[in-house]
Amino acid sequence: MDVLDLARLQFGLTGSLHFLFVVLTLGLAPLVAIMHTRWVISGRPQHERMTRFWGQIYVTNYALGIVTGLVMEFQFGLSWSGLSHYAGDVFGAPLAMETLVAFFLESTFLGLWIFGWHRLPKWAHLACIWVVTLTAYASAFFIMVANSFLQNPVGSVVRGDHLELTDFGALLTNKALLFAFPHVIGAGLFTGAFVMIGASAYQLLRRTAEQEFFTSSLRTGVVVAVLGLLVTVGFGYAQFAVVQPGKFEGDTGAALGLGFMILIGDLLMLVVLFLMLPVIYWLPRWRWTHPLLLMMTPLPFLAAVLGWMAREIGRQPWMIWERLSVADAMSPGLTPGMITMSLIGFTAVLGLLAVVDYLLIARAVRRGPAAPALGAHPDADTRAHALTY
Amino acid sequence: MELIWFAFFAVLLAGYFALEGFDLGVGLLLPVLGRTPERRDRMVAGMAPFVLANEVWLVAVAGVLFGVYPALEGEVFAGLYPLVVTMLLAWVLRDAGLWFRRRLDGAGWRRFWDLMITLGSFGLSFGWGLALYAMATGFSSSLLHPPGLLLGALVTALFAVHGRTFLAWRLPGFLGAPCPGRTLALSALAAATPVLIVLGGSAGYLLGNSAPPETLNVLSIMALPFAPFMLGAQVWVWRTFRPSKSADQLPSFF
Repeated sequence: MDVLDLARLQFGLTGSLHFLFVVLTLGLAPLVAIMHTRWVISGRPQHERMTRFWGQIYVTNYALGIVTGLVMEFQFGLSWSGLSHYAGDVFGAPLAMETLVAFFLESTFLGLWIFGWHRLPKWAHLACIWVVTLTAYASAFFIMVANSFLQNPVGSVVRGDHLELTDFGALLTNKALLFAFPHVIGAGLFTGAFVMIGASAYQLLRRTAEQEFFTSSLRTGVVVAVLGLLVTVGFGYAQFAVVQPGKFEGDTGAALGLGFMILIGDLLMLVVLFLMLPVIYWLPRWRWTHPLLLMMTPLPFLAAVLGWMAREIGRQPWMIWERLSVADAMSPGLTPGMITMSLIGFTAVLGLLAVVDYLLIARAVRRGPAAPALGAHPDADTRAHALTY
Repeated sequence: MELIWFAFFAVLLAGYFALEGFDLGVGLLLPVLGRTPERRDRMVAGMAPFVLANEVWLVAVAGVLFGVYPALEGEVFAGLYPLVVTMLLAWVLRDAGLWFRRRLDGAGWRRFWDLMITLGSFGLSFGWGLALYAMATGFSSSLLHPPGLLLGALVTALFAVHGRTFLAWRLPGFLGAPCPGRTLALSALAAATPVLIVLGGSAGYLLGNSAPPETLNVLSIMALPFAPFMLGAQVWVWRTFRPSKSADQLPSFF
């Protein structure tokens, strides 16, 4: 493999890893925000337990989203400086908006939410998770604006050796963006829903003491999965109307990614809509279905990565469609030694951390909602004592 | 417009040193001031509510670098490739240490991630010294030049002092006499001094390499209205988590 292949491999691997965590963040954030809202309004302990249990899974997943995201952001400068030289004046604007406004606020308010338990007034604390959700969606929006510009470079003109921004509005109404953004948001919801379904199925299968909690979670998961799947599949097919001509014909990687993603999406749509939704009332009691539900959990993640493969491999050999090739976008001074070192370092460290993070999430699921660390009360120990004795 | 964005960039970068500086300092001091697991838990709990709000300043710096100084971004990163990769890995391990250390029971688990926090904090602090020296000299010298190494040691020492001051301020009684906010502000200024000097020296260069007016106008219209919210959120963090006798008494998530 030459330098270019290695740089592409590095971006592809770290990007796929990043999105595995991002897609669940996008799905769980609004669900946790809704649970928190119900808790603040009703004051019921069951709603508090829901918020803390799913919130703990959400923030554990978030940790890897942050660290893989850091590597993504800095890779633009490390490996692809040709992109900022040629199109930085255009591409840089949405990227700057994402980091400067959306992620800055998201991270600050997430800190307030995680550590504000028992410190902030309850409505202020609730507002934090809604700001986190809103800014997470804003982040996704600006990243999709930037990516859609690569697919379909609108709003700019070639001036000399680089692109200049002429119409920022055109970037926001890019036809490559309009259907793709809701597609991503829907995918997030249905991934979050499948994690809820899988975790609930596991707890129900094991007949733990939390039957009521996970019966309710399983039903919520099925309803959200229907909603998310309809949005994802609907806006997925809608994209065929606007996709670049010939995108999926030249490259088998793109065509395979697309084909298998559609296969998974359609299959899950049939299963959720016609097999799970009609029996939603009985599903929590039918233990024989639970191993199947559990095994379906990874499918949305797989479909999400396949979808990005189709979109990004289909763009080859272009970095910016018919404007700048990936080869020309690569940093000029990059040597095989440099990229090999960073490829090994990033993949080994992030890969290991991802495995550890998934094991921690699995452990949080196994432990159930009895005593999550998130939102633990100052006298948690004494209360546990009082319950024991 | 170029001036406004230079000021914005300078505030973000100096703010990163002044704020994240004490997080890294606390990480550096874990093996020194935190000889027992209980003391390490208190130290991490002391800085925990600030970390997410502090480290994000550097993410914003990178965003501005891409949006406002696209011509320089490649130059900076290409010139510092091995260093940037190492610092990123250090940052990743430090963060992982914070997020993971309390997710499993067991002394060995927590000790391992505490070590990652310290190593990561060291890699970032020392790396910043090397990076600042390389930037000040226009990437002409090798990364491991003696003055660069000295600057690395200096930044590490400044962050450690800043971290210690922060702990004395946030956790009254943890390190003897409580420390007033004024002292913390002074150590923040000291932590940011190296980067302020480099920024002062490179102001003309940065201003001359700004993105064209169309891009800056769009960025200004879109981003500057949010500046008060960003500042407000930061102020809210400091108000919510101000020092108290029980600042570290809640079971902390980190």
